[in-house]
Amino acid sequence: MSAVEILQAFAPELVLFLGALVLLALDMAWRRLGEGKEATILSLAVAFVILSLLLLLGFGKASALPIWGMLASDQFAFFFKGLALIGTGLVLLSSYRYLEGHTPYRGEFYAFLLLVTLAIMLVVGAVNLLMLYLAFEFLSLTSYILVGYLREEGKSSEAAIKYFLYGVTASAMMLYGISLLYGVTGTLDLVKIGPALASSGAGSWLAFPAIVLLLAGFGFKIALVPFHQWSPDTYEGAPTPVTAFLSVGPKAAGFAVLARVFITALSRFQPEWVSVLAGISMVTMTLGNLVALRQENIKRMLAYSSIAHAGYILIGLVCLVSGVTSNFTGLNGVLIYLLAYLFTNLGAFAVVIAVERATGSNRIADYAGLVKREPLLAGAMIVFLLSLIGIPGTGGFVGKFFVFGAAIQVQFYVLALVGVINSVISAFYYLNVVRHMFFLRGEEKPIAVELTLKWVIVASLIAVFVIGLYPHPFISLGTKAVQILGVAF
Amino acid sequence: MVPLSWYLLVAAALFCIGLYGVLARRNAIGILMGVELMLNAVNLNLVAFWRYVNPSDLSGLVFAIFVIAVAAAEAAVGLAIIISIYRNRDTVNVEEVDLMRG
Amino acid sequence: MGMQIAFFLFSLIAIVGAILVVTTKRLFHSALALVLSFVGVAGLYILLEAEFLAALQILIYVGAIAILILFAIMLTRHLMDPKARAFNEQWWVAALVAGFLFLVLMAMILRVPWPIKAAAVPENVIEGLGSSFVGEYLVPFEVASVLLMAALIGAIIIARER
Repeated sequence: MSAVEILQAFAPELVLFLGALVLLALDMAWRRLGEGKEATILSLAVAFVILSLLLLLGFGKASALPIWGMLASDQFAFFFKGLALIGTGLVLLSSYRYLEGHTPYRGEFYAFLLLVTLAIMLVVGAVNLLMLYLAFEFLSLTSYILVGYLREEGKSSEAAIKYFLYGVTASAMMLYGISLLYGVTGTLDLVKIGPALASSGAGSWLAFPAIVLLLAGFGFKIALVPFHQWSPDTYEGAPTPVTAFLSVGPKAAGFAVLARVFITALSRFQPEWVSVLAGISMVTMTLGNLVALRQENIKRMLAYSSIAHAGYILIGLVCLVSGVTSNFTGLNGVLIYLLAYLFTNLGAFAVVIAVERATGSNRIADYAGLVKREPLLAGAMIVFLLSLIGIPGTGGFVGKFFVFGAAIQVQFYVLALVGVINSVISAFYYLNVVRHMFFLRGEEKPIAVELTLKWVIVASLIAVFVIGLYPHPFISLGTKAVQILGVAF
Repeated sequence: MVPLSWYLLVAAALFCIGLYGVLARRNAIGILMGVELMLNAVNLNLVAFWRYVNPSDLSGLVFAIFVIAVAAAEAAVGLAIIISIYRNRDTVNVEEVDLMRG
Repeated sequence: MGMQIAFFLFSLIAIVGAILVVTTKRLFHSALALVLSFVGVAGLYILLEAEFLAALQILIYVGAIAILILFAIMLTRHLMDPKARAFNEQWWVAALVAGFLFLVLMAMILRVPWPIKAAAVPENVIEGLGSSFVGEYLVPFEVASVLLMAALIGAIIIARER
């Protein structure tokens, strides 16, 4: 591969890195940011993300071969990179002026959002276990820093230490799993591990420990039960834009890695990991939903709801179909679901941020009478909540349709049934927020919403409806993206 | 020569002892030390596999070096967080840090 | 024979050190035991003919990480009530989990057919490491440097004085 080709394939990542450096340097030059300067930093950050996205669209699929056997720029990585960049763009816009009054250091925050996105882009392309580990760790470290960014506030540091301690333990377990794979195959290359594992004669004695240990690392990022304990406290204590980001970015990256490693490297152990993941999926969605029922803080509720959604999404991976001509390949459902969930959740969090900035509270009780205070917020929130439930016409429905459809196709009826029952349970707590917003009386002082937040809310609204009502381009995008992993066409 | 499985058993023991420390300690720094033990176990695994499985390909050694570098970065960030908590809250015991139980 | 004796000696140091790390009440003593365990592992690296890694282990784990931990313990020392419990109430669950995991791993280690090759270590390992950092592993090397930079800046952001 020539230097130019490598540069092209790397261009989106390089731009983001450059962007982070520029922001850090500017921040150092300006020290404390006034309002005008924060706007400049924000627009620069958004510009870098857009440039990176354009380069990704232009060159993202430039090379079929992984760069030096480390980073793939295939369709699968392309999809997740695009997802991460769009998510970051929305999170950047929702962060504008959020930190005001929390901390004087605001420039680095945007720089770290770019770095964390860079990390996701590396994670989703990694095709070598060493590369995977480094990118994963890069993602973790930058996330810990963002979570603990409000270091003057006890809650934020506390969220960070919990996230950190769970994170380093999970990554040590994942590393142990990686070392086992290396030991039994003698290689770190995901593509070579598959056949080497098949000829090694290692059976269940290796399969289960390796699967569980790797899953500790990946499941931590996704917040799968039982590796989810950090998430409610971390979601509650982190700065809200960071919470929004954590609920979509690292989660998507975790699914990308899970799918790539398990499908390409551990295909020999598919029966084993399907059974493990099926169990985890059911427990995850049930526990997430049941605990979400009794949450009074909206960030905690969304944290448990995000655990539950991880359970639904996992169904797609469990019900993998290969070699069949079908619309449901399971894995394409994972991708479509993640895309719909990205816009739905970021939209919902934008509403949460708007309310938090006006009222200083995240209690669901303080959403009472929201429709009178700002109809846009209440109206948008109802759409996002309906999409989270999975009502037809919204993006959330399309995602659920594809993962549950895959379960029915491979006759995992129990899994589909548990998923549907859980969706019904989830309606209770989502609609509880609607009840507060529309039917209870509360404070009536109007809420002023920051312009950038309005953009995020409106953009997410449009995306949720477009995916819900006109899903074909997104379905074919998701279906094309998973072909690279050798799943059905 | 010592069989490979002996090294692997020592590594497994270190890993489980470290995990015990992580699960049983109340102090964040104590937990971090448990994690360091687990990382050492992983490195011992990697080096032993390199030596016994494929010594001419250095990837196991390279991996171990990266793990050491990342562990240093992890420790730096973790201790920074611990110090910021200490400034805010005057405690480093994880169980006492509980603004958000429930 | 000498090999085996050295192996047992270093393993003993590593494991006893590790046990002390997780059982001593005073964190300061734990940190010292951690150094002991690191040194034992470094000895095992020498037996495995990975001398360079043994040197790194001493330099970074003992020289940097352990010192960093000692620093943190000293900085937060006056908060630590010596009478406070060092372990939570679920310590015996933790012991059961760790013990069970060890049994599983032991069974795995003894049953999996590891593809052992009786080959000698190449002569110029350090040279090989150097060239693989700028060759085969260039991308991870660059990513690691970005990671270290981000970690440094982040640590400063979080821990700096108000």
